[in-house]
Amino acid sequence: MAAVSGAGSAATVVPAARPSRAGAGTTLLRFCRKKPLGAVGGFIMFLIIFTAVFANVLQTQDPIATNAADTLARPSAAHWLGTDHLGRDIYSRIVHGARVSLLVGLGSTLVASVLGGIIGLLSGYVGGKTDLVVQRIMDILQGLPLLVLALVMSAALGPSIPNVILAISIPIMPRAARVIRASVLSIREFQYVEAARALGLRHLRIAFRHILPNTIGPFIVLGTAQLGSAILVEATLSFLGLGVPEPYPSWGRMLSVSAAEYAQKAPWLVLFPGIAISLAVFGSNLLGDALRDTLDPRLRGA
Amino acid sequence: MKTYLAQRLGIAALTLFGMSIVIFVLLRLAPGDIVDILFSTGGYVNPSERAAIEKELGLDKPIWRQYLDWLRNMATGDLGKSYRYDLPAWEIIRPLFPITLELATLAMIVAVVLGVPTGVISAVRQDSMLDYVLRILSLAGLSMPAFWLGMVIILVLVAWIGWIPPMTYVPATENFRLHCIQFALPALAVGYRSSALIMRITRSALLEVMREDYIRTARAKGQGERTVIWSHALKNAILPVVTVIGIEFAFLIGGLIVTETVFNLPGVARFLVQAIAWRDYPIVQSLVMFTAAIVILSNLAVDMLYGVLDPRVRYGSG
Amino acid sequence: MTSFRIAAVWAILGALLLGPAVPAVAQTPTPGGHLNIMLREDLPQGFAVHETSTISTSFPSMPCFNNLVVFDQLKRTESVDTLVGELAEKWSWQDNYRNLVFFLRKDVKWHDGKPFTSRDVKFTFDMLREAPDAPAKLRINPRKDWYANVEAVEAPEPYTVVFRLKRPQPSLLMMLASGYTPIYAAHVPPASYRTSCVGTGPFKVKEWRKGEFVDYVKNPDYFVKGRPYLDTLRYVVIENRGTRMSALQSGKLDVSFPGEMTKTISEQIKKAVPQIVVTVVGQTVADNIIMNVKKPPFDNLKIRLAVSHGIDRRALIQAVHQGGAVVGAALPPKPWGIWGVPEQGLLALPGYGKPADEKAKARKLMAEAGYTVEKPLKVEIATRAIAIYVDMASFVISELKQIGIDAALKQVETAQWHAMGTRGDYQIGANLTGLGIDDPDANFYENYACGSPRNYSHHCSEQIMKLIDQQSQEVNLQKRLELVLALQKRVEEEAPRPILDWKLDYFTHWPYVHNMIPQNNIYNYGRMQDVWRDK
Repeated sequence: MAAVSGAGSAATVVPAARPSRAGAGTTLLRFCRKKPLGAVGGFIMFLIIFTAVFANVLQTQDPIATNAADTLARPSAAHWLGTDHLGRDIYSRIVHGARVSLLVGLGSTLVASVLGGIIGLLSGYVGGKTDLVVQRIMDILQGLPLLVLALVMSAALGPSIPNVILAISIPIMPRAARVIRASVLSIREFQYVEAARALGLRHLRIAFRHILPNTIGPFIVLGTAQLGSAILVEATLSFLGLGVPEPYPSWGRMLSVSAAEYAQKAPWLVLFPGIAISLAVFGSNLLGDALRDTLDPRLRGA
Repeated sequence: MKTYLAQRLGIAALTLFGMSIVIFVLLRLAPGDIVDILFSTGGYVNPSERAAIEKELGLDKPIWRQYLDWLRNMATGDLGKSYRYDLPAWEIIRPLFPITLELATLAMIVAVVLGVPTGVISAVRQDSMLDYVLRILSLAGLSMPAFWLGMVIILVLVAWIGWIPPMTYVPATENFRLHCIQFALPALAVGYRSSALIMRITRSALLEVMREDYIRTARAKGQGERTVIWSHALKNAILPVVTVIGIEFAFLIGGLIVTETVFNLPGVARFLVQAIAWRDYPIVQSLVMFTAAIVILSNLAVDMLYGVLDPRVRYGSG
Repeated sequence: MTSFRIAAVWAILGALLLGPAVPAVAQTPTPGGHLNIMLREDLPQGFAVHETSTISTSFPSMPCFNNLVVFDQLKRTESVDTLVGELAEKWSWQDNYRNLVFFLRKDVKWHDGKPFTSRDVKFTFDMLREAPDAPAKLRINPRKDWYANVEAVEAPEPYTVVFRLKRPQPSLLMMLASGYTPIYAAHVPPASYRTSCVGTGPFKVKEWRKGEFVDYVKNPDYFVKGRPYLDTLRYVVIENRGTRMSALQSGKLDVSFPGEMTKTISEQIKKAVPQIVVTVVGQTVADNIIMNVKKPPFDNLKIRLAVSHGIDRRALIQAVHQGGAVVGAALPPKPWGIWGVPEQGLLALPGYGKPADEKAKARKLMAEAGYTVEKPLKVEIATRAIAIYVDMASFVISELKQIGIDAALKQVETAQWHAMGTRGDYQIGANLTGLGIDDPDANFYENYACGSPRNYSHHCSEQIMKLIDQQSQEVNLQKRLELVLALQKRVEEEAPRPILDWKLDYFTHWPYVHNMIPQNNIYNYGRMQDVWRDK
């Protein structure tokens, strides 16, 4: 699992994009005051990441253990969010589901961003025919609706966490490539790049040392925006039966079979996993919005 | 303009062509094929019978051969025969389109009716409590899984009113009132999500425009706020909104897939999921190509519309 | 005289008091009306019953077809005694169960008007047994082995059919009564049944709207006069389970689907709608564990027995089925079946004693094989990627953990499951098997015979084969029962495929539906010929 800790990420990210010498704490506070919604989003994400990392500590029971005596129990002191049709504790399953959702969400976003970023970087920098061809390929991948492509890929690859990550990241990748490419195109003509070229620096070096750092901003914005998307697609795939397989608890899968069947008798089966998904996506969207407003006001209209 | 259109259509054709390869290959990468599934409904396996069925369906030919055969058939309008149903794919898909189209249209209407006015209000009252509330509501709409929203709606109806919406398709000719109710709920579920996006775009587009000089000029000239907004700002903000509406329509299919599943509507989107599970290549390929064509064409239409609405946009070596 | 009067008074009082309580049989069926019947998925291959092995084909196809013989649709049990003729008026065994002769009805027409003759029967069974001179071939033929013992099928006269067997086999008659054995028409290609249905049955297919429903309309030329009672039927496809239940509860569906209703759900519906009728029947579907005896570690009998000892059947029934299943060995026990090992007999078999004792026995066996709970045997347990399978497997995993086996769940897509089993591409699996009829031949040849493609354990035991062949030819019912009991004990002791439980169905229908009688096997009822409803 990507070892990201909540508060740290917001703090470490902001200074990299704006080379200010202000301390991490001050920047964080400033961010919170200017963008309260974003702070809320960041807090939510921090909670979720915390839950995912410390799932084993936060759980009250083994999320996989079945208990025939206590199926479909209402939320109570013993089971904070009730139990499902096999008697498994829903709270513990939701806590562990955070791991899966984050793992898949972050994983696919990262893979998509890195892959797409490299493609966009090289394509934008090299330009010309290569750029054209690469762009057409990206168009093709992007032309197919996200869910449809993820569905087919997921069916093609089979159920396993790495496969699901791949299945979700491939459709998202073109977006990353597009954003990074746009960024590259605008920076490419800057004076210092020309100067570097005049100095005879190798292209790759220019690309990575000069252009790349300035794309971090859009990168982050893209990342947080896509994280929510990735989490939703994972949930949908699991709901349709194509996502992460048993026994990993997945919020999406918790909503598919057992919830639909027992929804009227035990509505908490439907409510809690859905709230968890919505909260995660909500938080990442809030944070993403705020980061975008802060880091790159140009993109506000997007 | 004409050359631009021709250029775009050319690129569109190429893109479709590329998509056809992607979907063709991806499908066949999936483990198992129709023959496996047929045997699994039979509950056993038999290699010689398997070979016979593969030959019958043309699955024993090399992939590139199958691809060319498929392309050739598509060009003549033959979408192939469904592996599962043994009937022409078009015959099976045709009755499903109207349902999905109806749902998509209703959802779009909901999305625009909900999204644009709230976006305007939010922009006009920027940073007010109302703005925050509206923004949070719309963001919530984007954050909720579409299928979950559908399930919650049904649950709430059953719990509060003790009434469940019709769970088998009711054609409009059979019972118009019930039909409307049946479509209203999923349209709301899907539309809410799209409305969120439209609201955000409307808001940000309007905000951008309202910062422009000519708006300030209009205000300085003493024109009423409402005139300023309606005659000047909105007219210019409409472009990105239209773009998003056009794009959203094509991307609705994601939400339609799950919503049709939850509300049990026999549409094309739900059928696609089943066809993938059955590895019914002719059906999946046809449906995905249709979807892709709609996406590309709607993108193109939006771009053309863009050109019509905004004379500043130039065509040519764009 | 006085006693007569007294008797008369009692009779009248009795009639008055008991009259209302007398079951529906006393009421006169009213013709007409429509029924909505539940389907949980669209027909996989239309009405091609002979090319599939799933209830999703056989149940909705029942109204279209007829068999030679069928189990009395008004009775719950299925046995030789409840056989009634459909297309056959009379039948008899000859030559000590070596020949089976049928005298067919002369007044039957196919739905397209053509007359039914013995040619259709010969056509169907030559096709099924893949006779060398069969005029047609099935693309998929799951029950070919049912007819392995048939030497020839002759149609000496237009209304006489003779099955000539290689050796006595009393079970053949039972196989002909299964819902899996309808008669196809000789004058249409078998493949046509995938899209439409030319049958002789009480209802004709009016429309099959893919993914939505199958509409049937009454067959006016049906050979049983005055039947069917109903005018139309609609089998409604609802894939979402919760939606199905809501539809049944709200009356949008009148009848449930065989094998669909669990104990919990039927109780839920009964609470909401007290007047709904719930009938408990067996399904003849069993949860079982398959172990690949050709590969380690399950080639070791001790480990197999440990698995069988280690799984607490009764706890599984509680945990996974909430009590809606019964324990039994390789065949369903009474009263759900005829051949099953009775409760006392079960106690002698591995896994049915006191749970603590059984687990201790299992741990001892595992220790002998070199494994303990601290140093467990690591295996992969495969199951189909469907909720009912996964739930069962999850329970089994937690049981095995307690005896020193650490099993990781591997979900296999349905399309791959049978191939995996036939190839032996697994170690241990959690499986579900349905039997087309409650019959030892159908069960043992399919699941335990050497070389059978559905013998997923690949267990080949000379003893077992001998017993299977012996009981198959035994014409004396009592002697045969003893042999079958011995056979069931033997297979549990060699433990290639321990049976965990036999599932029950809580078949549900609304009280205005009459004569909809479920049987102890999900595959063999649903002809709908005698079903009627109140207005």
